[in-house]
Amino acid sequence: MRKKSVASEAKEIQTAMEMIHLGARLQLLESETSLSRERLIKLYKELKGNSPPKGMLPFSEDWFLTWQPNIHSSVFADIYGYLIAHADCRGIEAIIKSYKLYLEHCEVAEMEPILSLTRAWTLVRFFEGKMLKTASCKQCSGHFVVHAHDLNHRFVCGLCNVPSRAGKTNKPRTLTYIAMAA
Amino acid sequence: MKATELTTEIRELNLTYLMLAQQMVLADKDMAIFRLGISKDIADVLAVLTPSQILKLSNSNMMLCRIRFDDNLVFGMLANYSGKEKTMSQSHAAILMAGQPAEEIA
Repeated sequence: MRKKSVASEAKEIQTAMEMIHLGARLQLLESETSLSRERLIKLYKELKGNSPPKGMLPFSEDWFLTWQPNIHSSVFADIYGYLIAHADCRGIEAIIKSYKLYLEHCEVAEMEPILSLTRAWTLVRFFEGKMLKTASCKQCSGHFVVHAHDLNHRFVCGLCNVPSRAGKTNKPRTLTYIAMAA
Repeated sequence: MKATELTTEIRELNLTYLMLAQQMVLADKDMAIFRLGISKDIADVLAVLTPSQILKLSNSNMMLCRIRFDDNLVFGMLANYSGKEKTMSQSHAAILMAGQPAEEIA
């Protein structure tokens, strides 16, 4: 095994801690840091007080295309795109920073942040894998997350053309919000 | 408002703006670039301004910051939403504003 520098390890632990605070799953931590699985589990337990959730990560790209998640992921994707285009940060650092800005946006606009850090990371991986991309709406010219292989030349976004039952889920969202705050 | 009052107000706002912008850049450059809508070059300039340079810069009868949206669409979304639409129009505006180019040094 190669010898690791203590300083770079400390930096990775810092990043891992930040990601855990933002709600990252274990798989994300494993893939973005070179820390061992056991250390990550230990770190997770120390910070959260319980074991990391088991099971697979959400893998469906269709989640990003349903109405409300699409708006949330488009806000995140546009912030991320802006940082990549104009700032120096790259990789997981850029994802963490854009995710923080997205959370801030949710707080100001008083909406529940339904995009998790793990999902945001998955979204960026889908962009890199060219499964998803952003297309600009023909009416407002904003950039929205779409399938890479769909026909998007006359794309109109879900905010210019709101579907009739948009945002009306069976269970009222406010209840889960209160439960989370309690 | 008299002209002298106006220039005083503008000077004060310029000063506050520059100080806040510099603080934001020093705290986190990348996030400041997004929040202020500026390019990396401007952020670098802001970071190294001395207090006396900030004073000299703000001492002007022209505003140093300006409105970031030049179309009616974004303006309407930010200003004319009603209770229920708030979340969506703010998100829509955020998407449009993030898609705009950054202010650069010509």
